[in-house]
Amino acid sequence: MADVITAIGMVADPFHLLCLVFGVGVGIMFGAMPGLSVNMGLALLLPLAFAFKGMAGILMLLGIYCGAIYGGSISAILLKTPGTPASVATTLDGYPMAVKLRQPGRALGLSTTASAFGGIFSTICLIISAPLLAKISLQFSKPEYFALAVFGLSIITSVSSGNVIKGIMGGILGLFLATVGIDAMSGAVRFTADTTYLLGGVSFIPILIGVFALAQMLQSVEDCWQKSQIRQHVSIDNVLPTVADLKRVFTTLIRSSAIGTFIGCIPGTGGDIASFVAYDQAKRWSKHSANFGNGEPEGVAAPEAGNNAVSGGAFIPVLTLGIPGDGATAIMMGALMVQGLQPGPLLFIDKAPDVYAIFIGLLLANIIMACMGYSLIRLFVKLTNVPNAILLPVILLMTFVGTYSYGNSMNDVYVMVVSGILGYVLNKLKFSMSAVIIGIILGGMAEQNFVGSLIMSDGNPSIFFTRPICLFFLAAAAVSLIAPLMMKKKA
Amino acid sequence: MKRIFAVLMMTAMLLGMVGCSGGADKKAAYPADGDITVIIPKAPGGGTDTSARGLISFLQKELKGSKFVPVNKPDGGGITGMVELAKAKPDGHTLGMVTVELAMFPHQGKATVTNKDFVSVCAPIAAPAALIVPKEAPYNSLDEFVKYAKGNAGKIQMGNSGTGAIWHIAALNFEKEFGVQFKHVPYPKGSADIAAALAGKHIDATLADPSVFKSQIDAGTLKILAVMADTRSEFYPNAPTFKELGHPMAIRAWAALVAPKDTPKEKMEVLRKAAEKVCNSKEFKDYFKKQGIDPTAIVGDACDKMMADDDAMYARFLKK
Repeated sequence: MADVITAIGMVADPFHLLCLVFGVGVGIMFGAMPGLSVNMGLALLLPLAFAFKGMAGILMLLGIYCGAIYGGSISAILLKTPGTPASVATTLDGYPMAVKLRQPGRALGLSTTASAFGGIFSTICLIISAPLLAKISLQFSKPEYFALAVFGLSIITSVSSGNVIKGIMGGILGLFLATVGIDAMSGAVRFTADTTYLLGGVSFIPILIGVFALAQMLQSVEDCWQKSQIRQHVSIDNVLPTVADLKRVFTTLIRSSAIGTFIGCIPGTGGDIASFVAYDQAKRWSKHSANFGNGEPEGVAAPEAGNNAVSGGAFIPVLTLGIPGDGATAIMMGALMVQGLQPGPLLFIDKAPDVYAIFIGLLLANIIMACMGYSLIRLFVKLTNVPNAILLPVILLMTFVGTYSYGNSMNDVYVMVVSGILGYVLNKLKFSMSAVIIGIILGGMAEQNFVGSLIMSDGNPSIFFTRPICLFFLAAAAVSLIAPLMMKKKA
Repeated sequence: MKRIFAVLMMTAMLLGMVGCSGGADKKAAYPADGDITVIIPKAPGGGTDTSARGLISFLQKELKGSKFVPVNKPDGGGITGMVELAKAKPDGHTLGMVTVELAMFPHQGKATVTNKDFVSVCAPIAAPAALIVPKEAPYNSLDEFVKYAKGNAGKIQMGNSGTGAIWHIAALNFEKEFGVQFKHVPYPKGSADIAAALAGKHIDATLADPSVFKSQIDAGTLKILAVMADTRSEFYPNAPTFKELGHPMAIRAWAALVAPKDTPKEKMEVLRKAAEKVCNSKEFKDYFKKQGIDPTAIVGDACDKMMADDDAMYARFLKK
């Protein structure tokens, strides 16, 4: 108990709180801007974090990390432009709710609530069951990763809005794009057309910006052309979600947060996968599953609770094992070490107050995030009242600037433009862009772990069927592929 | 009121612009006569990036009036950035980081740019390959490991960071030196995944940069048997070097600050002198030690030599 009180003392310092608030603000901004990644925000402020003594710098980085995952949902909902890969699933129902149903305030209120709920839920999981979850996460070897990827790919059927065949075609396109570049399993160079640029693979973020932001902008231009758009002024009276909405999404919030926490604690998987899995499960269990894709509240809450729940989950392997699951947590681990906190099994024994301070920091970051979110919703919603003649050129500029600043490369910009035009056409043909994105995210993971599993088993495929976790995910994938077909027959 | 506000905004913006260009005084002597762009051919937040940013912040403090601007160019697996640096105007205002891949890629047919296109300032890190195994493993020394490997040819699962990447080549080198055979399991996303796999006992050993494994080694779940470096690591003083054990192997993942090859000697001298001082300072060493990385002070000609040596070694090894 004394440790907890020391920890509260460490966090409650006004300067430390200021750092946390500043971090959350920066994080939300970086998350909302497509092209500015969490890692970029963390790397830019890392020298500052090194300079601060004690918890101040760490709290700032925690704030950025939590804020950025949430920030991505703002642009996803209002502009159909996911600020981060983790918010792609949020566009599915968030954008229709904001634009078709003209309820941007409700959508943002839901996403803010869900994000904070997910973050707090996962932090509590981190506090009470970190060692247990860490043990489970260590059970994951290549076959399990492969099975998880296959399960993720099976979600394509549920996000492809009606047309499963086109969804699968989109997914295959994504899988193909994921094969470009040096194959790290064999060292072979694939589909690079002898260019240096493609050696590192097709950049994912430019494609994301292209198929969402640019394609959506082109669509809006076309809409303007066809009819003189009268933008009604949307006014909102309440930024907090209604009790009815909360009741409706409550089970979804719990389920999605649990999914997010679990996926977060497995090294190497993150918010992008978690949000899709959470969305898919919400749709499967919902009474209104037919209405998903048209602005369903559960469809907004699920991915946001799922991706923010990753934040607490991702700290489990970092703090208990000293193994960072992705770039962002690796940066934060570096910051912890600079302050003399060596993450790993010994951390909880040697530096208990600091660990508690991190826990409190994470909780506070989520609460601050919610407060900032709620108070800024009115401002954000004004964005939908901006006339297209002003909004669209600004978005166009942002797509270019955002893409260039991501890798300081013109090639990325070309990729963004090409995929934007392609995305526009594919949208017209009712292809699902989310399916393509899932293919790109999971293609490498599925392939590399498939090959890796077979290397480990000397080519014996039984490795996929003799391991319980692996078998569980493969079975879940099979169910999720077959179930929609069976249901259709019955209906 | 609105107009006053507008005027204020304009003034603020103008002041901001003046402030930004304040660092570039054209009349001053190098390096204070303009910004120095540092191309980092890796994404922000990675190991190369953080060490580069650390190094240049120390250099900036040492070289009064200078302003270093890091620019990340992670395209094409890092090759694009290195090519761009090689082609940059050699006036001392464009520097960049190159990594050990510069010594490997030309011999794998992946790049044409080589160490001969650059002159170096210094290498802030040169992480050696270390032989790391789980605590329960039945071997406690390099000799015992080799003996075990000979008895179990092709059975030991050796984690690496991708086929053709540095830790894979370290393992291939090991096989050749000791006449053993491993089963190579690639973890393309990097050493953190190898650490997770070792801690979960999915693989038997790895040859990789020990800094990523430090938490697990300190906690006693993993043990370090030997290090491929010239001197023992400060963090693991009990782990012998391969050299001490009679096998002079040195595979190290370095990153070096370099300039295009025709950069004037005087300017290079200025940079090298500052780097010499920075790399041997306590603050600089602490910066890396706190991150679990053994700091190095390989400056100037010594760094050029290391890059050339490694290039020759990989040429021998990868061509065969």
